[in-house]
Amino acid sequence: MRLRLKGGRVLDPANGENAVARDVEILDGRIVAATNETADQEYTLNGDIVMAGGIDLHSHIAGGKMNLARLLMQEDRRAYPEMRGAFCGCGGGRAVPTAHVTGCRYAELGYTTVFEPAMLGANARGAHLEMADIPNLDTGAYLVLGNDDYILRLIAAGAPQAQINAYVGWMIEATQAFAIKIVNPGGINAFKFNARKLDLDEANPYYEVTPRQVLLTLIRAVTELGVPHPIHLHGCNLGVPGNDDTTLATILATEGRRLHLTHLQFHSYGTEGDRKFSSGAARIAELVNASPNISVDVGQVMFGQTVTSSADYMSQYRNRGLASPKKSIGMDIELDAACGVVPFEYRDKSFVNALQWAIGLELFLLVEDPWRIFLTTDHPNGAPFTTYPHLIRLLMDRDFRNAQLATLNKAAQQHTMLAGITREYSLAEIAILTRAAPARILGLKDKGHLAPGGVGDVVVYKDDADREAMFSKARYVFKNGRLIVKEGEIVDLVAGTTHVLRPDYDRSVEADITRWFDEAVGLKAKHFRVADGELRGGAGPTILKCEGAA
Amino acid sequence: MANTGKHIVEDVVCGFCGLGCDDLKVEVEGREIRPAGSVCPEAAKLLWRMDVADPLFSRLGSPCSAQEAFDEARVILNAARTPLFAGLGTDVAGGQALLDLAGGTGGVFDHAASIGLFRNFTATQRTGWLATTLAEVRNRCDVLLVVGSDPTPNFGRLFERLFPDSPLFAGEQRKVIFLGGTPGARASGQLARAEVSSLPATDLPEALVALTALVGGRTLAGNSFGGVPLADLAAVAAALSAARYAVVTWNGAELGNGDLVAERATALVDTLNITTRAGVFPLGGRDNIIGLNQLMLWRLGYPLRTAIRGGASEHDPALYATAQALKDADVLVWVSAFRPEPPPPFEGKTIVIGHAETVFDKAPDVFIPVGTPGIDHAGTVFRMDSIVSLPLGALRVATLPSVAEAVRRIAGGVA
Ligand code: SF4
Repeated sequence: MRLRLKGGRVLDPANGENAVARDVEILDGRIVAATNETADQEYTLNGDIVMAGGIDLHSHIAGGKMNLARLLMQEDRRAYPEMRGAFCGCGGGRAVPTAHVTGCRYAELGYTTVFEPAMLGANARGAHLEMADIPNLDTGAYLVLGNDDYILRLIAAGAPQAQINAYVGWMIEATQAFAIKIVNPGGINAFKFNARKLDLDEANPYYEVTPRQVLLTLIRAVTELGVPHPIHLHGCNLGVPGNDDTTLATILATEGRRLHLTHLQFHSYGTEGDRKFSSGAARIAELVNASPNISVDVGQVMFGQTVTSSADYMSQYRNRGLASPKKSIGMDIELDAACGVVPFEYRDKSFVNALQWAIGLELFLLVEDPWRIFLTTDHPNGAPFTTYPHLIRLLMDRDFRNAQLATLNKAAQQHTMLAGITREYSLAEIAILTRAAPARILGLKDKGHLAPGGVGDVVVYKDDADREAMFSKARYVFKNGRLIVKEGEIVDLVAGTTHVLRPDYDRSVEADITRWFDEAVGLKAKHFRVADGELRGGAGPTILKCEGAA
Repeated sequence: MANTGKHIVEDVVCGFCGLGCDDLKVEVEGREIRPAGSVCPEAAKLLWRMDVADPLFSRLGSPCSAQEAFDEARVILNAARTPLFAGLGTDVAGGQALLDLAGGTGGVFDHAASIGLFRNFTATQRTGWLATTLAEVRNRCDVLLVVGSDPTPNFGRLFERLFPDSPLFAGEQRKVIFLGGTPGARASGQLARAEVSSLPATDLPEALVALTALVGGRTLAGNSFGGVPLADLAAVAAALSAARYAVVTWNGAELGNGDLVAERATALVDTLNITTRAGVFPLGGRDNIIGLNQLMLWRLGYPLRTAIRGGASEHDPALYATAQALKDADVLVWVSAFRPEPPPPFEGKTIVIGHAETVFDKAPDVFIPVGTPGIDHAGTVFRMDSIVSLPLGALRVATLPSVAEAVRRIAGGVA
């Protein structure tokens, strides 16, 4: 099956192409060099913009906490009924859409790959079952580690790094994960021992291990195992004014080793002003700019109702008083981690919410290197992913941004430097943020670009000065060379694949892990383990082997 | 499955009560399966298999071929206006196939064990709750409050799982307080190392409200609450407040006022968490009800007791509960692969996708015997906490279809 997209302008930053007029050809699901062969299908694009399929490296799309959110917030489901279309019509929802809606809405926006950033080992099988039901998207998941009693026990006992590495390797394989996430390093665990906060250098009340130790130990583990994506860190003190200091200290703690700071916006709060809540974005962006080992995603806040959903039960418990509507769920989970679900409404007339919005945009605009910053709302925690087109317009259109700013809480306007920032993102930069850079930092060599050998995930947007309109409805989306979106409407459903990582590790660790599961967890390690055949309805995963393991 | 001689299979996963034990030992000899070693009565009964011929597929009690049964089921479903898919005792794959089928036929979905689940949901959906899971209770809980009667008859190894010989953090002196019940012999045996007490109660929600007030530091006027002397309640409150990790557990299905118990237990745990750590640990989860509920949540956005109609779904915990939905249904599809549970009495057409040993009062229009997940075929079930799910394996060669296969065969021709 040969497909030709004729007469588009190709925006492929990974290969230095900035609106280059050329054809794109897809043969049996893969991009190939242009030929003169007769195509089975041809699309005439008349100068439309052609990009690789979008890649979201941080969006909560599957796993137990999302189902808890769905259960808790039936309001969200009822307010957003089924999508139209001659398909299964499965479900609805906006803040916590169903699997079907997640896959279809992402596809409409031109995304074809999305990573679930907080899979708990204890819930891995369920998360994979759920991901298999998401149509039109390739997925993958980051395993949450660093609050599990197994690793804290090892660190506390001063176990050799090799043993930690073996455990991390075993866990990645057993849970079919793609990278390692740390959520509030050691803090979720400390909360189980009734600590209500845990700073970077504060000791866990039971293990006497600090978040810094957890972080550095796991950074070393993924480095030595050769995991392509750096540690994906949700830092200490999420949402707490003054956490900008923690964030700066965290960056410095890496001493040049690679680290990804996720939803940085929630970790960029100062304590200046009469309300003791201010933007730390400038200080943080400055240090990020000076630290080539650091990458970040923003976790932009957008106004409206959402449901926040996180493994950071310590922080979510602290925030549950702010729940709107007034209800929340928390759960300690399996000597492994935890979760907290808190419905929340971001209001543009609220000082704090308006400033959060501004802080996110400051970060976007002050971090200079588009290859090290990623477009996220931490769906659904800052806002549902469906707000991305609006966010893109805010980044690309300064007048629009300032007009929005002018409608917000007056005091918040005084506390942000946003109005003075002139930067506007270019289309090429948006393509970097949403495609080329995520592929690169995840180590996905055949994604995020349009050179021969790439997967046939290709998106066509109609160029439109209103960037929100442009990115809201892709003109065409091809998934593995199959047309799934036409003029912004879903026209087909295809099954995606799940990316997993296979590190080499010392398998002798299994004996101790088996004993731990038998005695402590009360479940067999072999039943904790998720088999290849359990992924994607038996199709199994797409495996990336770790290279360059130490 | 090459081994046909007598052999022992270790670490068998159990999908029956929802506790998710995965260390069972069974003896397999050809088609015979016998529990070996100590096992709970529920698993002993439901695992046992003799080498008997499979029941025949049937229409109105008359044997027919499998294909005829599938065809007849399809004809009935194609003509149905308001089918009810109930029982739903199946693995996740079976649930997926049923939801796929219902995408075409429409229908109401409810599980046979959903009463307890929905009593708990009244609390979760109104206020939410602070919960915990098995491995946490097992290692952290130093004071466990069991509300209502001893849950052991329904969850045979509950206290064995929750009270291991050497918990990581709970210490030596673990307390278990039964409020409104007393431990039976089996529970007492499993709790040999714990300090067990029991308090009779007449009104559990009232006693829980009083406990919450006492934990919150309020003084109460009165001699007793819910039939429990104030002094006793004060002692329990003191124990809970002094706990490092208190857990409150109950079985909503067994409590007539389970919704109130869930709500009041939730409030108690909320209050405890202000100063110490605590969690609710609600019991339930028979026959993979949690797996079906999870599946519906991610597929439809609604839990069980949801109707699919015209490409849209609607959730109503009262209207779409089996007993009520039966009044409006014209076709009942009864699914029960884990145990031989016959369908409830029903006037309309009935299709049973059921356990081989099901005994009927009245022959259904179609009977499709299916294998049991974990015995005849592999499958996935969720544990009661909704977080952990388990891979069931096959213990013998399947001669009957799984629910998923049966449903796909029925769907084969749904218009
Ligand atoms: S207690 Fe429940 S899960 Fe455990 S063996 Fe018995 S029936 Fe199975």
